[in-house]
Amino acid sequence: MLKYVTRRLALLIGIVFIISVGSFYLIHLLPGDPAVVILGTGASPAAKAALFAQLGLDKPIYLQYFTWIGNVVRGNMGTSFISQSSVAGTIRAALPIDLEIIVLSQILAFIFAIPMAMRSARKPDGVIDRILGASSFTLLSVPPFIIIVLLVLIVSIKLGIPHTGPSSYVTLASDPVGNLESLALPAITLATGSFVVYYRVLRSDLIATLQEEFITMARSKGISQRRIMWRHAFRPSSVALLGAASVNIGGLLASGFVVQYLLAIPGLGYTLISAINMSDFLLVQGIVLTVSVGVVVINFLFDFIINIVDPRISRE
Amino acid sequence: MSDELLVVKDLTTTFTTNSGPLTAVGGVSFTLGQNETLGIVGESGSGKTVLSRTIMGLQPRRNVTVTGSAIINGFEVVGASEKAKRQIWGTEVAMVFQDPMTSLNPVMRIGQQIDESLRVRLGMDRASAKARSIELLELVGIPSPVERYNSYPGHLSGGMRQRVVIATALACSPKLLMADEPTTGLDVTIQAQILNLLDELKDRLKMSVILVTHDLGVVATRTSRIVVMYAGRIVEIGDTRDVFYHHRMPYTRALLESSPKVSNHSHTRLQTIPGRPPNLMKLADGCSFAPRCAYATDQCHNVRPTLQAADETGHYFACWNPLPSNRGVRAP
Amino acid sequence: MNDDPSLAGELPGQGLFLIQEATHVEAHERSEPLGVLFWTCVGWIVLNVLGAIFANALPLKSALFQDYNNINVGPGWHHLFGTDDLGRDIFSRVVFGSRVSVAVGVGAMIIGFGIGAPLGMLAAYKRGRFDSIFTTIMYVLLAFPAIIATIAVLSFWTPRALLKIIIVIGLASVPLVYRVIRTATLNVATKDYVIAAKVQGATDRRILIKELLPNIAPIGVSFLLIGIATVITLEGALAFLGLSVNPPTPSWGNMINESRTVLAQNPWLVIFPSAALCLFLLCLNFIGDRLRTHYDVTEVKL
Repeated sequence: MLKYVTRRLALLIGIVFIISVGSFYLIHLLPGDPAVVILGTGASPAAKAALFAQLGLDKPIYLQYFTWIGNVVRGNMGTSFISQSSVAGTIRAALPIDLEIIVLSQILAFIFAIPMAMRSARKPDGVIDRILGASSFTLLSVPPFIIIVLLVLIVSIKLGIPHTGPSSYVTLASDPVGNLESLALPAITLATGSFVVYYRVLRSDLIATLQEEFITMARSKGISQRRIMWRHAFRPSSVALLGAASVNIGGLLASGFVVQYLLAIPGLGYTLISAINMSDFLLVQGIVLTVSVGVVVINFLFDFIINIVDPRISRE
Repeated sequence: MSDELLVVKDLTTTFTTNSGPLTAVGGVSFTLGQNETLGIVGESGSGKTVLSRTIMGLQPRRNVTVTGSAIINGFEVVGASEKAKRQIWGTEVAMVFQDPMTSLNPVMRIGQQIDESLRVRLGMDRASAKARSIELLELVGIPSPVERYNSYPGHLSGGMRQRVVIATALACSPKLLMADEPTTGLDVTIQAQILNLLDELKDRLKMSVILVTHDLGVVATRTSRIVVMYAGRIVEIGDTRDVFYHHRMPYTRALLESSPKVSNHSHTRLQTIPGRPPNLMKLADGCSFAPRCAYATDQCHNVRPTLQAADETGHYFACWNPLPSNRGVRAP
Repeated sequence: MNDDPSLAGELPGQGLFLIQEATHVEAHERSEPLGVLFWTCVGWIVLNVLGAIFANALPLKSALFQDYNNINVGPGWHHLFGTDDLGRDIFSRVVFGSRVSVAVGVGAMIIGFGIGAPLGMLAAYKRGRFDSIFTTIMYVLLAFPAIIATIAVLSFWTPRALLKIIIVIGLASVPLVYRVIRTATLNVATKDYVIAAKVQGATDRRILIKELLPNIAPIGVSFLLIGIATVITLEGALAFLGLSVNPPTPSWGNMINESRTVLAQNPWLVIFPSAALCLFLLCLNFIGDRLRTHYDVTEVKL
């Protein structure tokens, strides 16, 4: 187990390093002189000097990287030349909104996916299973940006529920109920996509698990169906579920970007798209780095949890 | 007959498959007394596993029809609801499964798996369940049971796992233990240990045991009676001695000749049974063994033989052209 | 969707052996048809692709002409799907918009399969150092969230153009294609007939093309279709975020994006491109899934 964790940790560090190099190098994808692109053609020499100092653009590229990464590690991602505000500060303000949407959506997705998958797996090919199967397959083909637009059309425009439309985000601190209302549609949108994946993965894994001999053995002990489903079938199957959730994180963030963009919710996604549109490249770079590292670290944590849930894995 | 622990009468198990019904067990009847060991013997595909599961009502819940009767200690299993059967599972009848690699839940600690029966079925509290589980692990001969209590099945060898399976089956002191090929998945050296353990536990705990196997050598010394199955039906049944030395059914002889004996000279060629077990989807009207039988006649191919009494009491066979009775010939 | 347990799996012990044998024979006797729904989906995809290719030759209204006398008109005889807020014909824009989706779907998968599939096959066939180097690289790349990487690169690599989008998405899909094809090839490469061919002295090239390729083709095709659907969804999301082809060129994604501002006044503007996109994706997913179960391939996830 310890060996497994150290090996994964080494890999994690390697991947984070590569991500940091990639994010750093993004600036150099810009056509022409980065200073001109970042600051515009009419920049003052003072601004240009400040940029050069911050990015170390006059130094060799590997030194630029080390200057940059050294600052990043100390929590300093530079100052945006567009908004004149600290990149790290902007990210810190936006990140909680993404987390809130994701957590809400995952709670919703699991609340629906787990019982429904259990229901389906108990009678595969039964009426309920067929209905759930067909509807989940259809939902699989509806992208999140369509779901959110349709939800806004129905819930916000046709039904007129407050705080659900574009540009009506309410902060958690000012009005918790309003905050929940304004994040309801984003959470439902993200939950829909996750639900479909979780339901399908858990269903097929449960069906396979229920064929196992140890389920017959559990049955022969004379314990209830409920106990067999939860204690004996769900736990080995939940490994597949956790794996799916782990893979899903990247997709969730992207879906989060889409809903925030539509509803003007000031999370990382909205901030990112605004930054791209305003050519605020340092902010884009900061968000890309934060999000990528976040995803990789979360995946690592999932790996770790899966290991605890299923002792078979680390031994293989 | 009231002292019989198990009475099986005309038990039939039919699976509904995509290509029609499949009768895996066809009209099996026998009885089993208290503290008795019965062997069920047959080739792969003879329906012995399905039979043993049907007897305790553990057949799959869907696409299966069971008729006839199986009464365990006064409880009619056939037709009973899953809920009703749970009342006898574990406490009246328990099963030791074939493959200890797959019959233990890989993500539950061994202790938890034994505790479960004790706590759910016997209502024990956590502490006494743990104490009892450790006792059980010790009973089945697991070294350092206190440590093993917290192990996962993956940490144990096949033989040790099978001991855990036995401990789990014994948790609620069942009166009838079904052992379905309990040693097939194990090394030869471990096989004897497990069988001896079962034997010893049977006497200590005053249980009856049904030992299902394809290996006649396994049942020879451990059972009082033997059921020989072919294509889902009993073709011969009797006291172990009678089946071994006075068998009348050609299939029983073929089975005996195909298993190695210590008394054989070295390099003795084992007899194989020509042909293959029949496809249960397409059973003929006659004797199922007829296509592979050297003595088969038209009658065998067209009319199914029923069990008829042999000379010995309690010895029956189903054959139109039985081997001659060798009663009087001295057993070797 | 074929993960329903066959009866065989439900039977214990010996019963299992017999019934597997019985159903095995049966499965060979009746080769199950793919079904009406399958061919309907194939027909729809073909229709869409033909529409995308020959959009210019079709008797359609201009997708760009702005008719200010007919703004936000509902569906009707004159404008089949109505017009948008600039008076452009929605039907024409939906047909022309399919070009971007089809181009990205096909183009990106050509890149993804063109690089990922041969590498995956070779790695699985050669094993050894070649395999371990490439598998490690791909593993690291897979850990990188592809969607975010795509957004990041597209936001810096300006000005945006269709070809760049195809290249970025195509490259992002390489590690996944590699993994799927490598796993599929590994399963086949250890089969007896491949070893037999090797022993008989067949060349590597011959084994790869004659023995391995036909056997992994069903998995590849099924994964290809589901991959196309995924890539089209990704392009749609990018277009929705304004990171794909620049207006006024229509694409399903940017039409949905443009409809945001007039959602209350003209819901048709979002409904038609959404329906076109969903239907296209549904058909692709259905065909892919049906082929997968038809050839009894275990689930591959994108």
